[in-house]
Amino acid sequence: MAGTGDKYSDEKYAGEFREDFIRNLRIDFFDDEEISAVLRDLDSLDSRIRQKVFALCHTLSHASSSLVPNALKRIKTASGLLPGRDLERWITHAYDILDRQGIGAFADYISGIDDEALRRFSTPEGLPLREIMAVLETYIRGISGRELKIAAARETYTDTSAIFLPAFVNRYEDRDRNYLIYKYCAALAWAQISQGTVTTDEDVLNRFLKEVPAEPDISAFFRMFPDERMAIDIFSILEAVRLETFLEKELPGLMREVKAVKRDFLNDRPLCPEQARKSAFVEGLYRLYLDGEPAEEFQNLTGDIPGDILMLKKNAGVEESMKLLGIMYDLAAGLAGDYQPVIFDPLLCTIRPQEVSLVLKAGRRARRQRLEGMITKLLNMPDFEQQKITLRRAGQQKLPESGKEYLLIKGRLIELDSEMREILQERGMSGGIIVKGADMGGAGSPMTLTDLMEEDEVIEESAGGVKYDEWDYKRGGYKKKWCTLREKNVHPGHDPFVEQTRKRYSGYIRVLRKRFELLRREPRLLRRQKDGDDFDLDAVIDAYSDSHAGLAPSEDLFMKYDRQQRSIAVLFLLDMSGSTKGWINEAEKESLVLMAEALETLGDRYAIFGFSGMKRSNCDFYRIKGFEEPYDGKVKRRISGISPKDYTRMGPPIRHSVKILKAVEERTRLFITLSDGRPEDYDAYKGDYAIEDTRRALTEAREQGIHPFCITIDREAGSYLRHMYGEVNYIVIDDVKKLPNRITEIYRRLTT
Amino acid sequence: MAKVIKTEEFIIREEPFYLATDRETEIFEAAYRNRIPVLLKGPTGCGKTRFMQYMSWRLKRPLITVSCHDDLTASDLVGRYLVQGGETVWIDGPLTKAVRTGGFCYLDEIVEARKDTTVVIHPLADDRRILPIEKRGEVLEAPPEFLLGISYNPGYQSVLKDLKQSTRQRFLALEFTYPDRKLETAIVMHESGMDEEICGRLVILAEKTRNLKDRGLIEGASTRLLIHAAKLISAGIGAEKACSVCVAEPLTDDHEMLEALAELIRSIF
Ligand SMILES: Nc1ncnc2c1ncn2[C@@H]1O[C@H](COP(=O)(O)OP(=O)(O)O)[C@@H](O)[C@H]1O
Ligand SMILES: [Mg+2]
Repeated sequence: MAGTGDKYSDEKYAGEFREDFIRNLRIDFFDDEEISAVLRDLDSLDSRIRQKVFALCHTLSHASSSLVPNALKRIKTASGLLPGRDLERWITHAYDILDRQGIGAFADYISGIDDEALRRFSTPEGLPLREIMAVLETYIRGISGRELKIAAARETYTDTSAIFLPAFVNRYEDRDRNYLIYKYCAALAWAQISQGTVTTDEDVLNRFLKEVPAEPDISAFFRMFPDERMAIDIFSILEAVRLETFLEKELPGLMREVKAVKRDFLNDRPLCPEQARKSAFVEGLYRLYLDGEPAEEFQNLTGDIPGDILMLKKNAGVEESMKLLGIMYDLAAGLAGDYQPVIFDPLLCTIRPQEVSLVLKAGRRARRQRLEGMITKLLNMPDFEQQKITLRRAGQQKLPESGKEYLLIKGRLIELDSEMREILQERGMSGGIIVKGADMGGAGSPMTLTDLMEEDEVIEESAGGVKYDEWDYKRGGYKKKWCTLREKNVHPGHDPFVEQTRKRYSGYIRVLRKRFELLRREPRLLRRQKDGDDFDLDAVIDAYSDSHAGLAPSEDLFMKYDRQQRSIAVLFLLDMSGSTKGWINEAEKESLVLMAEALETLGDRYAIFGFSGMKRSNCDFYRIKGFEEPYDGKVKRRISGISPKDYTRMGPPIRHSVKILKAVEERTRLFITLSDGRPEDYDAYKGDYAIEDTRRALTEAREQGIHPFCITIDREAGSYLRHMYGEVNYIVIDDVKKLPNRITEIYRRLTT
Repeated sequence: MAKVIKTEEFIIREEPFYLATDRETEIFEAAYRNRIPVLLKGPTGCGKTRFMQYMSWRLKRPLITVSCHDDLTASDLVGRYLVQGGETVWIDGPLTKAVRTGGFCYLDEIVEARKDTTVVIHPLADDRRILPIEKRGEVLEAPPEFLLGISYNPGYQSVLKDLKQSTRQRFLALEFTYPDRKLETAIVMHESGMDEEICGRLVILAEKTRNLKDRGLIEGASTRLLIHAAKLISAGIGAEKACSVCVAEPLTDDHEMLEALAELIRSIF
């Protein structure tokens, strides 16, 4: 979705861009009448697409205005043929062609497309899953309270950790009903997880299994049926029927809407009279599920079965379905012919016992591994150095408590909690012994496992950088300790960059200082002070009353504006990737100089860092000015030495900045990033993955009480920005030359 | 003039509607008999204030509620001298008033108050149970009927909004969570007059939003929001719209989150 510039807000549309656009038309010899015709066309568009179309025309006018009227004419035609969303999609598509293939391809496309082709553009592939994936994931997390991922597959099913849905749904022309199918399928899969279809209780399973394997799950159950596929198909239907009751209670709105959809699917299904009897039986069951009532032919085939099935709707458990499956299966098995698997629509959440089993097994394995990893780590830790620990924890040493038990290992005394005990029971205690607190006579200083992990981290940090998790949106979870970040120093530069900048902006700097001085005087009123600018009337009245009452009146009778009260710390994080080479890098550096001037006047604490790097193992974090460092010659030389480096992996430096900011005691902690747009690394850190991780890292910052603000210098600010920055405030600066002036203004607004 | 503090003082004559979710009434009564101050923890809008009203009705004590804010001074709580018609008059603050009358003093959202204000409750909140009034050189001893209650929302994870150990360790803490589905439905029905069908669905919606806490929402929908929505629905606003303005919009500004919430609302209504 390139080119849907957020910068084309309605305001801009009316303002400077419009003028610029008109100028371009004029240059290309449009006369007044032609210009007003174009503007009329634009104004008449639906407000939803107007900005986008205007942006498109504006871009066109830079290259060749003659294309503008033609494009507008096509868009007008299209708006008669395509419903709103498809129209928007088509415009985006055309814009993409312009962006990617250039003006020639665009001209061809625009003049070549006829009504028929346009019409075909209306929902040709239906609703693609990727378009709604993010929202659907939040939706299902809200419904389930679990970290379930959504992924594309040919059928609808779940392996208990992810829900698989078809990549496209195109049963309907309109998006809403296609969307509804997605929601229903996801909800049905969630019901299968939460109501025990695929996560069947061991006790229940054991009642059905003839031999009980070590780790029984649903796959063992299905293995008991000679025709496993037929058993699975029947069971999927029975469960869908059973779970309807549950879903009707939880999501009545959805279930009401989906009724009509089921009927449509039922009507779509061809009747195949020559179907094998077994398959016809399963087909009949499926129709019963879609219809809610048994069809006549089916009744003839099965006697009183439908009644049994409908009993499943009366708050039955998975056990009832399993029992009924036994009966159904035998019945079907007695029919003639082979079972030809029935093709279901996406409306049925099928069961994939093997995949479920794999995930459940993997989960158990991961749990065991974590435990084992912990104990191994414990055994391999360097011998305990009393000194280091005492230094770190001076003043808050604990003593062993008589009621507790401790593990004594490698000179360490570790408090035993239930988790630890579990590991020890599994692994044996090679190298350690358990001691009772009562037997220790208060000697030694015990630590908890958490302390131990912390200590572990400190050691790791000094050895080779800090590890950070990275958000993998595809799995909906973090890759643990995925990236390694190292703090580095910038090589000092030797040209007098700071001095030159100050000279160049000397006029502006004077204004800047004034403005920021004003800001300093704005802070809040302090009451009941010993001295100040004015009487505090409340205090005076109190004092007067007190002295009337024969008390010594207070002397704190004044109010004053407090200057120290401004409690703000700000960290600037600078994109030093290769793509900033040239003007952007210059502008970033100039901005820093101006910001430093302003902040020195203001007295807010600030730090400046830069980042770049290549691949997850080399995230470099450059210190330009720490919070404690004064703005002196050294810092100035570092600013001068800032130069473009490698790639832009945004996540780790954001997370590291947050860590630094969290240690700062100021009340308001501001985090300003300066970058040129897309996060991107040499490896797979690109596109959606990079955007999602950046978004996540910024959300984490917000959750920790830090206020991020993102400044993006980008002429073609893509629509992904809004998603990437999410709830975080950001601004796009399209002309890098404006950055130094804008940034100080932004800061001023942010902090008042 | 001195600041006017929002003080609601009253002996509650009519039984406030309160549905117990656990053994909180029993515990509160035990705290009251043993003169232990009470800390009510929990997310906003889950019934802390209502519980306090209910208990003061039940135990027949007047209730004085102070909504704390960052300008609240110690004198605002304890009292001050005023000059009225040439004479100085001492005016008790709400806390003093409650101590004198043997009532309940409820400091709502205590973390909003300045730290130096919070300390005036310390001597009242331990076994001394005294309130020194420095200006009058007076020390009030709290009668057995006096009870100090404070409320606090641990959900805000800000370091600034945390309750100091020295304060919290004086209190018995009652944790308030959202009531279970049946109970919460009954509450919303009672407060709004809407039917079980609608209220039940609102409660389901609330549960779903609570699942999204820390997954994009800072907090899930409170009972209070549900009551608002139910009232709008009973006033004839469509359910979807009512949920959107009373539940979704107050919770977040994030567009994607709002979209997901809209889908949830549609799926439930
Ligand atoms: N257990 C409950 N019994 C009765 N009403 C309740 C209960 N819990 C919540 N409420 C309702 O929710 C609303 C908000 O509760 P309130 O006590 O103001 O919340 P808090 O003080 O925790 O922020 C109340 O007005 C009341 O209508
Ligand atoms: Mg309240």
